[in-house]
Amino acid sequence: MRILSEVVATLSHLPGVVVAMVVGAIDGLIVETSGMKGGTADQDPRKHTAALAAYLYSKATRAADAARLGTPAFMRLEAEQGHICVVGARDVVLVTIVTPDANLGRVRLDMMNAARSDL
Amino acid sequence: MTDPTVAEAWVAAPLRRLMDDARLISGVMLYPTGRAVGQFGFSNAADVMSICALTSAINASARELGRQLDGKPFYETHHAGADRQVFMARCLAGGQEFLFVGVFDRESSLGMVEIYFAEFQKALEKLRPEAPTRGKGPSGDFEGELNRSLDALFGPIGKK
Repeated sequence: MRILSEVVATLSHLPGVVVAMVVGAIDGLIVETSGMKGGTADQDPRKHTAALAAYLYSKATRAADAARLGTPAFMRLEAEQGHICVVGARDVVLVTIVTPDANLGRVRLDMMNAARSDL
Repeated sequence: MTDPTVAEAWVAAPLRRLMDDARLISGVMLYPTGRAVGQFGFSNAADVMSICALTSAINASARELGRQLDGKPFYETHHAGADRQVFMARCLAGGQEFLFVGVFDRESSLGMVEIYFAEFQKALEKLRPEAPTRGKGPSGDFEGELNRSLDALFGPIGKK
């Protein structure tokens, strides 16, 4: 198991990844985060994104369960100016904020590998 | 979920928004002296009376504990129970300090409560309490203040 700071550092160096975070699945609090590219200290959206992404993932898990689809493997929210990607890994969720031109296949693969083997 | 009941009307809208956004089950906003300003999720004045007295005491204890352990008061407290969790923190409006205590379960999370409480704090900072404050310290009539605020929230006992 790699240390969490290495996991977020590796993910944050992928092209198009603005920020990578490990977030508590239950409490929605940031456990580990990369630096925010282009962000300012007083307008840091990471805390909000972390809490809301963890909340959204818990609801998606319930929806998948209600539809008898099992546990969600990967969740991607597409917005006008980018994506939020979430992968669950037991007690934590891995969250990335990604630009629209990012290689989403690579981001998805690396996030799922990290969740499977590193968290 | 029922609307908040308030003793001071200016706090109704922000309290309602906090309740909805953070998905709180119940909550009470109060003066540090224990006088309730608004509440939601409670139908019994005795419950609010207990919450106010306990929150006021816990706040005073946490502040002193913070001063002794960390050199500065603890303003935020969180307790995670088996099913429900309690969040307590302070907020300011028009220079007057208030306390808030909220209860939530797995429909919300501490992260969600923290971010929406921060928005609640910002909303309150722009508002002014209706009644002029009666000094920063307790008036000495803790029980009387508490009962007057409960009358405002639930109506006078025995006259419903």
